[in-house]
Amino acid sequence: MKAYALKKIALLFPLLFGITLITFVLTKALPGDPVYSMVGERASPQVIEKIRKQIGSDKGVIRQYVGYASLLLTGEMGRSYYSNRKVMDEIIAKFPNTLKLAVGAMCIAVPLGIFLGMTSAINRNRALDRMISVFSITGLSIPVFWSGLVLMLIFSLRLKLLPPSGTGDIRYLLLPAVTLSLPALASVVRVTRVSVLEIIEMPFIRTARAKGIKERSVTTVHMLKNALIPVITVIGLEFGSYLSGAVLTETIFGWDGIGRFMMEGITKRDYPVIMGCIIVSTVVFVLVNLLVDVIYICVDPRVRADGTER
Amino acid sequence: MPARLVRHVVTVLLILILSTVLSCSANNRLEGYVYYRLNADPTTLDPALIVDVTGGSISAKIFNGLVKLDEQLNVVPDIAESWKISEDGTTYVFHLRKNVNFSNNREVTSSDFKYSFKRILSPSGRSPNTWVLEKISGAKDFMQGRVSDISGIEIPDPYTVEIKLEQPFSPFLQLLTMTAAYVLPKEEVERLGDDFSSHPVGTGPFLLKEWKHNNQIVLKKNSLYFAAPPKIEGIVYRIIPEDLTAVTEFELGNIDVITVPASEYSRYRTSPEWKEYLSSIYGLNVYYLGFNCSRPPFDNVNLRKAVAYAIDREKILNTFYEKRGRLAQGPVPDILRKWQALFPYAFDLQKARELIDEEAMNDRTILFYITTADQEVIDIAEIIQSYLKEAGLNIKIKQLEWSAYKAAINNGEPDLFWLSWWADYPDPENFLFPLFHSSNHGASGNRSRYTSSEVDRLIEAGQRALDSTARDGYYASAEKIIAEEVPWVFFWHKTDFTLRQPYLKNYKIYPIYNIDKGVEISF
Repeated sequence: MKAYALKKIALLFPLLFGITLITFVLTKALPGDPVYSMVGERASPQVIEKIRKQIGSDKGVIRQYVGYASLLLTGEMGRSYYSNRKVMDEIIAKFPNTLKLAVGAMCIAVPLGIFLGMTSAINRNRALDRMISVFSITGLSIPVFWSGLVLMLIFSLRLKLLPPSGTGDIRYLLLPAVTLSLPALASVVRVTRVSVLEIIEMPFIRTARAKGIKERSVTTVHMLKNALIPVITVIGLEFGSYLSGAVLTETIFGWDGIGRFMMEGITKRDYPVIMGCIIVSTVVFVLVNLLVDVIYICVDPRVRADGTER
Repeated sequence: MPARLVRHVVTVLLILILSTVLSCSANNRLEGYVYYRLNADPTTLDPALIVDVTGGSISAKIFNGLVKLDEQLNVVPDIAESWKISEDGTTYVFHLRKNVNFSNNREVTSSDFKYSFKRILSPSGRSPNTWVLEKISGAKDFMQGRVSDISGIEIPDPYTVEIKLEQPFSPFLQLLTMTAAYVLPKEEVERLGDDFSSHPVGTGPFLLKEWKHNNQIVLKKNSLYFAAPPKIEGIVYRIIPEDLTAVTEFELGNIDVITVPASEYSRYRTSPEWKEYLSSIYGLNVYYLGFNCSRPPFDNVNLRKAVAYAIDREKILNTFYEKRGRLAQGPVPDILRKWQALFPYAFDLQKARELIDEEAMNDRTILFYITTADQEVIDIAEIIQSYLKEAGLNIKIKQLEWSAYKAAINNGEPDLFWLSWWADYPDPENFLFPLFHSSNHGASGNRSRYTSSEVDRLIEAGQRALDSTARDGYYASAEKIIAEEVPWVFFWHKTDFTLRQPYLKNYKIYPIYNIDKGVEISF
């Protein structure tokens, strides 16, 4: 497994090279010019030229990329065109917030989602199952900017229990984490339900029951453990995407995470910021997937380190 | 996962939520601090680099210049206690106050001003605000690296700054009230380098205590401030991008003053609880529909007139815009205008149709660019589109992100565009020269690419005129020609509205970002 993990990590480098190159070329191909936003509403052509030279956007795209790549190799990510602050420092400051939010959302979505999904499957086609289905479909289809504002209205404005916005301790985390957890919760419920329903018909479940094993044991040990692989995949994907930032949730709740930082970078064409965020997101996504692979092996020994089944 | 574990996790979560909720009643506000809301993190607090209103209004509390604006928009002493202007209007001699200290406890002298001005104009610097000071004689040579010093700035002694201009420029004192003309301590700028932008050091009534980017900015009272000290301990700017969130924070008492979002205006205006705490002020701005005057179809003045005739601006202002502004008669905001003006093309659909028929413009698609940053803009564009359809024009709206939009309008891509202009300094010149002088096509301000040698001449004469009546005469004539030739359809001058908490005293709303030094407001 160690060799497998090392191989995956080693693959990160060509991956990063490819991704940075493609992103760099694509963002440069977008319409828009950061210089115009940097100079304000009235700047002479000379000033615009001077600033283009200073940020290097007067050169060809490939030369710019080579410049950027060599900067990266020295362990730097450059400075934001606008704020003049180091992108690396900004990401280091914001990533823990993104991590907190993602972990917070998963802490709600995973246990609750698995629990509801199992309950739904065991009570297949009964009223409870229907209720949970309605709940999860609603969770999937409600946009976070709506659910977030409704939660804020109830828990902040009416009940005065939680602060509506800001980045800080768990009180600040709760509302955005619940908001962000809703879509993930819904996916986990649906996948768990389908996966458990497949297992429920299997002969080994019947055998287990025939052996006189307690029903609770049958559901948790026999059913759930065998149904977990697709659920873990979904959790991994959701977690990975949350770790690269949750723009809407961060915006509504004024949470200072990577998502908003990247989004602002994109709208202002702040190339060093965009690139920095893309690199971090890529690395995080690969690492989360690696972690998911490792969990597969732990959960289901039939899965070998190369991902195939025995 | 065993059910027991699931149950434990759920229990722990519930306990966490409950304990959080119970511990939440304590309000962790800083005592004596006024809380404001910002919708975005200011990009920088380095006066050389600031181009946004947010950055400008915060830096006004951290820094000072030679002169500043008072509430009536007059230029009044700041660090310079007095000044003299030579008769030919080209030499300004400023006498500085003594014992004005930077917050690092070093006295400000005339050489600091020279250093700060040189920094703006430096050929290796990054300041986009060179235009503020380039009227100084020798500035252009210095900017291009031909000379190592600016001949027009002299410092005969530590408390005198003498500035010579290339030629008279009537709003020069007002330029000196701007962010770019603030004084900075050389030693701190050099020590901090690029990081000065987030660790500013100035002379102002406040100093930066903490800046958690994208979260909050905390300013603390500066005990070394040379003038009347603030009546509050400090200011906290909370960065809250979403309007509804900001409103919630305000209603919970976590924020003391908010700019009223358009969507909440009618609610607060009619709310018995809040309406008496609503403040408003006529803004120094103009909202307009710009034409691209440099190419067909709108190089044809008759078609521009047709568009102006076709739109009922007053109705849009009174209904959709809920009268949150005053109808514009020309580019210059009415509070800066000492003369009468009237936009000659009031709504007249029949005339619009006739002109369009005459010019055979039917069935031609007109490209109308807007930015997607604001829902209000999208709505206004659709209203304009429907008016123009009535008149027989086919308008295609193209929505672009702000930076793409700016590049497009600076490069003259659209036929029509929606934009506003906000004063840098309160002088009619600021609404004429950058916007309509033919030397400023594109990014310098004249995005409608309007060209008129007569308007150029009048604006230049106004800039040089030393007598204020003569100056107003030139500006009035220029504005009249502009209104007649309609490079823009002038919509309105937006009124700003703020809402404050009842416990706040001496709160005032100001027409321009840099007047408020934060020394009057109190609890």
